Formats: sequence, C-alpha cells, structure tokens
Amino acid sequence: MPDLFKLVLQISVILALCRIVGTIFRKIGQPRVVGEMFAGILLGPSLLGWVAPGVSAYLFPASSLGFLNALSQIGVVVFMFLVGLGINPQELKKHGHAAVLTSHVSITAPFVLAAFLALYLYPKLSDDSVAFTSFALFMGAAMSITAFPVLARILAERDLLGSRLGTVAIACAAVDDVTGWCILAYIVVLIRTAHSSTSIWVTIGGIVAFALIMIYGVRHLLRHYETVYRERGHLSENLLALMLLLVLVSALCTEWLGIHLLFGSFLMGAIMPKEQRFVRYVLDRFETITVTLLLPLFFAFTGLRTDIGLVKGQEMWMYCGLIILVATVGKLGGSMAASWLSGMPVREAAGLGTLMNTRGLMELVILNIGLDIKVISPALFSMMVLMALFTTFMTTPVLAVVCPDRFLREGPAKVPAQDAAIGTLASADKISA
Amino acid sequence: MSRTSRNFIIAYAVLVGLPIVGLVGILKSGRTLAAPISVDGVWKLQTDPVRLAALPCGKTLAISPEAALAISQSGRNFTLSLSDEPKSAASGVLDGTSLKASLVPSAPWSEEAGCGSGHEISLVATVDPKANPRSLEGTLSVDHCPPCAPVEFRAVRLATPVKKGSH
Repeated sequence: MPDLFKLVLQISVILALCRIVGTIFRKIGQPRVVGEMFAGILLGPSLLGWVAPGVSAYLFPASSLGFLNALSQIGVVVFMFLVGLGINPQELKKHGHAAVLTSHVSITAPFVLAAFLALYLYPKLSDDSVAFTSFALFMGAAMSITAFPVLARILAERDLLGSRLGTVAIACAAVDDVTGWCILAYIVVLIRTAHSSTSIWVTIGGIVAFALIMIYGVRHLLRHYETVYRERGHLSENLLALMLLLVLVSALCTEWLGIHLLFGSFLMGAIMPKEQRFVRYVLDRFETITVTLLLPLFFAFTGLRTDIGLVKGQEMWMYCGLIILVATVGKLGGSMAASWLSGMPVREAAGLGTLMNTRGLMELVILNIGLDIKVISPALFSMMVLMALFTTFMTTPVLAVVCPDRFLREGPAKVPAQDAAIGTLASADKISA
Repeated sequence: MSRTSRNFIIAYAVLVGLPIVGLVGILKSGRTLAAPISVDGVWKLQTDPVRLAALPCGKTLAISPEAALAISQSGRNFTLSLSDEPKSAASGVLDGTSLKASLVPSAPWSEEAGCGSGHEISLVATVDPKANPRSLEGTLSVDHCPPCAPVEFRAVRLATPVKKGSH
C-alpha cells in the first residue's frame, strides 16, 4: 500500500516547484516546459539530495518512488497519445521534395554522427552487457528526435505558425518523431528478445501485424468519432471514456508484444482523425490534467534519476560537452545544410536548424526508456538529460539571433494558414505553455 | 524525368544514402570494441559477519546473511551501496576485472560504530567473468589501521529478471 500522506506531499511539492520554476522561465522568454524539466532536476540528487540529503530522503524515499513512477507513466501514456494526435506526417507532402530531403537529412545527420560518437563513448560509458549495435542505435535515435510540442509552442510565440519556416519545421519534426520512435521500438525489441525465449522475428511480426490492423482497420472505425463530433458539436462522456480505453488497450498491446506502452498510445493518437477542430476538441478534454498534474510528476521522476554528481572530473564533462556538440552539429547543422541546399535562404535555413534542435520532453521520454532497458548507464543518462535541457534552452535565444523579427517580417512569405499543422500547433499552447 | 527530380534523387543519395552506408560501416566496426566488464546489478554477499563487526567501522556495514550489494555502473566507474539502507555508499573504479571502492559511512552511523579518525573501508575484488552467474571475490579492509586484518568476502550476482511491463 502506498503511504498516501507521503504521496500527496510529494505531488504537492512537485506541483508547487514546477509552477514556480516554470513561471520564472516564462519570464526569461523560455517555454514553461523547460522550467518544469529544470525543476525536476532540482528535486533530485543533483541539488536537493546534495544540499539537503535528509529532506530528500524524507520526501522521496526509494520505497515510495514506485507509486510516483506509476502515476507519471500514466501521464506520459496520455501525453504520447496527444502528441500522436497532433502529428500529421501528410503535411510533409505539401512542401515537396525540399521538405522531404530536409526531414530525412535532419534524421540521418545526427543519427550517423551519434553512432560515430558511440564508437568513442561505448568503451568508456557502457559495459559488456550492452551490444554496441544497441548502444549506437539508441544514441542515434535519442539525438535525432525533435520535441514536437515545444517546437510548436516556440513557433506560436514568434507568430511563425503560418510561415514557410514554421510549416516545414512542423512537418519535418513529425517525420523525425515517427522515425525516431520506429527505431527506438526496434532497439527495445532487440534488447528485450535477447532476454526472452521468443524469437525476434515473432516479436517483429506481431508488431507489424498490430500496426497494420491499427492503420488499415481501427483508423477507419475511428472516423466515426469525427462524424459524431461534426453532427453534434461534442462527444459524450461515454465516447471520451471509450477513446481513453482504446488508448490504454493499444498501450497494453504494444507492451505485451514486447515493445513499450508508449508506442501503443502514440500510434493510437497518430491514427486518430486529423480534422483541425476535432483535434482541438479532444486535446481540450485530455490535456489539462495531463499537462498540469501528471507531466510534472514525470519531470520529477526523471530528475530523481538524474545525478549530475555522476558527471565528475574533466574527462566526464568533456564527454558531456562532446554529446551536446555532436547533438547540435548533427541536428542543427544537418537540417540547416539540407534546407539551404534545397533553396531556402541561409538565415531561414539556420532558423529551421535551430528549431529542429529542440529536444525537450520527447528526449526525456526516450532517455527514461533507455535507462529502464539499461542500454545507457546512469552517468550517460545524466549527460543526455543535460544535453536535452541545453538544446531546448538554446532554441529561443538562438532563433531570435538567426531569425530576428525584422528578417521574418521582410523575408519569407507566409503560407496560407490551412497549410499549417494547425491541430498540432493549437495543442502546443497548453502542452508547453 | 525532370531536372528537378533528378537533382532531388542525386541530393537524396548523397545526403541520406551515403550517411546510411556510413552508419552500416560504423555498426560493423563497432562490433570489435570491448566495453568494461558488467558488474551492474545486485550481488548476494557472503562474508564472516563476526570478523567484519570486529573491525573499526565494520558495524556500519551491518552485514546480515541476507545482505546484498547494489552496484550501479557507468563504464569504468560505479557506485555501490549495501542493502537499501543509506548507511554506507561508495564510489569505485573498475580496471579490467578488478574493482576498487572506498566506503565512507554516513555521519551518524560513522560515530556510532567507532568510525572516527578518517577511517574508511576499502573494497578490493576481482570479478570472475566466466562464472555464470558472475561472481566477485575480494577483501574488505580498514584504511589507516595496520593491525586490522582484511576480511574476505564473496558475492554472486543475482539474476536480473526481464522487466516486462516494469517501466
């Protein structure tokens, strides 16, 4: 049985700190989510456990973390559904060859550079229980991800939603995330089947069959949701409960198939109807509790696992610096180079690269999976969390320098609002506000 | 085929295709790399509790027949704790199959167990990589205490269950 007093106390402390730090970050022009990620780290061994170990041991005893984790995972399951709901890879088609090229280079460049860095880091930060292939692929997937909701929020704040820069960035981020999650699913299968008697091909076959059923079967059934919404202007509580149930069942299926709960919830969101008002309506129903209550618990749980004290000595900080450098050069540089070669003006291309370098919450979700399946060590986890914070934090100020408002007003023309991934962008208001 | 399409295919092959070929090469060459031996996990500790308790600071280890040693590894570095009590925590380094760590008991315990005067407990052990499950053999000794004889211990790594659904 959980100690309810302790659990409620933990939630209260986490909520209070997340709101305070989130508000401070908003005042310095950062999305609130960056502040909340930072607040999570403050509550962990990196600060509270270091400055006041007694308070930390009282507030977050090891025996109580299971309940906090369970609650936070429920939040992430719903959050991944909302992220999938907002993603519409069809947007990429509207931007032609240039966007396809930019999107794919923005995955391959950081992926290959991360794998190259893995050659150096594997003997130093891993151990022989992890195969190099899994380690390198995980590093690649973790570095090529883009925080879709944070990116959308930054675009909204800069009034770039309808611009070419904004729409290309959103379309590329959608493709990056879907690709990143597919690669991560493969890594999870690779590692889990190594410990299981089930053949990897049986597992992969099951996952492919499940994905096909969802995409070609369940997706068509889900269109009834949109039809009912169009006719009535709202969905009944029963229909919303059924939607949540479908998310949970899909999550359970992917967990049972040997990947992870989150893939199922993400897939369920991705196959939902994409009509703008319907998406907005569903987001409004689910995101308030998820974003204000459950996600801060995830940030705190991540912070409790992040021990910056493990990054000690010049050597370890050099590895951390290398990770940040490679992640930034690969994502920012790769996206910028590809979009510039595709004909985008250099400043706009730099802006796109900067936006694509935002990793935020999505990175934390992936890193937690990596730590759970032990493909990364605690020290590497802490370094990657620092990289996620750094690359997300740098986006707003760097974007202001490379794409000042003056340039955007005089420069790239706005594209019709219809072309923007509006459903997604609207959702970002709350998700990362 | 239009000129634009041809340019796109060339650009795609160079910017996406070539890096993928490079990735395959990296994954192949990486297979020859050797990472430090894995010591991560929970180890069941076997030692003589009477001899250990006789050491200055030895009581801080409070080793019972069910004692477990938890090791959290990051490459060559690791942190180590005994059972789930915060009585002693240590950090150490792995060199090949040799482990070295210093256990510094936490303050209240340290005084209670006569651990003043800068006493630390050193753990030196060797991993047997061929044993299945993996095992450790070594000694626990008290620093700056020439008359204190080291106490031998043995530890066997407990099988880590596949965590289906545990995250």
